[in-house]
Amino acid sequence: MLAVKDLEVRYGGITAISGVSIDVAEGETVLLIGANGAGKSSLINAIIGLVQASHGSVRFAGRDLSAVSCDGRARAGIGYSPEGRRVFPTMSVADNVLSGACWHGGASQRQAWAWLCGIFPILKERASQPAGQLSGGQQQIVALARAMSSFPKLLLLDEPFLGLAPVWIAQISEAIRHMQQRGTTILMTEQMARPALKLATRGYVMRGGEVRRSGTVAEIRDVALAEEYL
Amino acid sequence: MQGFVATCLIGISLGAQYALLALGFTLIFGILGVVNFAHGGFYVLGGYLAYSAVTYLGMPYALAVICAALGTTLLGFLFERFVLDRVIDDHLATLMLTLGLYLMMSSGILVVFGPQSPAFAFPLTGVIHGHGFFVPIENLVVLGVCIVGILSIYGLIYYTDFGRALRALADDRAVATAQGLRPAILFPAAFALATGLAGLTGALVTPILSLAPHIGDPVLATSFLIVILGGLGSVGGATVAAFIVGMAEAFSAVYLGGSKGALALFVLVLVMLVVKPSGLFGHRVRGA
Repeated sequence: MLAVKDLEVRYGGITAISGVSIDVAEGETVLLIGANGAGKSSLINAIIGLVQASHGSVRFAGRDLSAVSCDGRARAGIGYSPEGRRVFPTMSVADNVLSGACWHGGASQRQAWAWLCGIFPILKERASQPAGQLSGGQQQIVALARAMSSFPKLLLLDEPFLGLAPVWIAQISEAIRHMQQRGTTILMTEQMARPALKLATRGYVMRGGEVRRSGTVAEIRDVALAEEYL
Repeated sequence: MQGFVATCLIGISLGAQYALLALGFTLIFGILGVVNFAHGGFYVLGGYLAYSAVTYLGMPYALAVICAALGTTLLGFLFERFVLDRVIDDHLATLMLTLGLYLMMSSGILVVFGPQSPAFAFPLTGVIHGHGFFVPIENLVVLGVCIVGILSIYGLIYYTDFGRALRALADDRAVATAQGLRPAILFPAAFALATGLAGLTGALVTPILSLAPHIGDPVLATSFLIVILGGLGSVGGATVAAFIVGMAEAFSAVYLGGSKGALALFVLVLVMLVVKPSGLFGHRVRGA
């Protein structure tokens, strides 16, 4: 489903990631773990097209994305929930969620809204409230629902559990399981890997902008324990 | 009391015209982050397009107004798509380009039509008398069109997918783009909408006020004043501020005299900005 090969991202003279290669098969949930500054978000941003890779390639569903714009990648079926939530603060919860599906047409939007309200009842309760007024956990739900609303084939989740209370972690985990049951392929990053490891099937460990280790959840858990990501 | 009512009506009419004009200006700033120095130029162009359609093509005035709005919409779309879009994140470049466009438009109009104000009259004349006051019919017609225009813009921005996409881009362009929203189409469309509004206002208002190649300067200044007063990028703020400016202009002109009116207006804005520097409804409109 996703093949990243020898990817390099530079910000001016600083190399954020270098020689990164990862694969994510259809239906898998793959976890990227690493400390702050390891290059996880740069990798996610390069996959969705928010930053331009200076070297290497990203292939999604067999298609080279090098010449595809960021919005084109989203429309090709990649959903994205950014680090730090980044909800649209002045827009209502409903508008936030549906902005991720507003290029799909009315019927699909209604279907997405009904489905998401079933998973996250808080969306319906707060539908008309500006998203900027919500708590961190509520905003994370809005950001995740926004990414899910277009029924993506691949879901990129950048630190979905960051700074959340256990009650919100449980809700986000439940939503990710919903997506897994739909057969959605998921690539997520985490610094604190404990809840993410329960959801993942495989993982990569990043450090200093490079992939240092890959393996099964059990193998990654050992590394995470050794490097205090748990 | 009668003078008060008449002045109120004039103020409301002016406010509606200003609101229609300023909505476009604030939309462009809020969504694209561009201060459009050519906004007054599109107003003038709208007036001249309507004038030409009526005078040289013999079109009915209503149809000429529509053609003028469509003409400025098309020009705005092409300008954003093929010129502005390349440098959209470079504030100095966008400033220079829009200023350059304004100079080109006003100079071009000067070359084609000459410096004199053409005879361009509103097709409906007459007054409606109330209890001791009267209102010119053309002002009421323009007020009606402006109110329909303002409500249409509100409907478009707050109740359609297009508007939702524009607001998302205004809040956080990067994340909105990563949700599949297409700035390559939405930015020119937003710019075209704004320039179309300026052209519509010019076509409607210049037969009542005046039409000349350089009347874009005060129009730009008024638009600036309104969006600063309302809060940069705020659609609601621009509308409220437009009516405040319209009323202030009408009352100060009647009770203080023409030249003192403008001074009173600028003092009002200065006081407002000292008390609330972000404007009436100011908020952060662009995400990181």
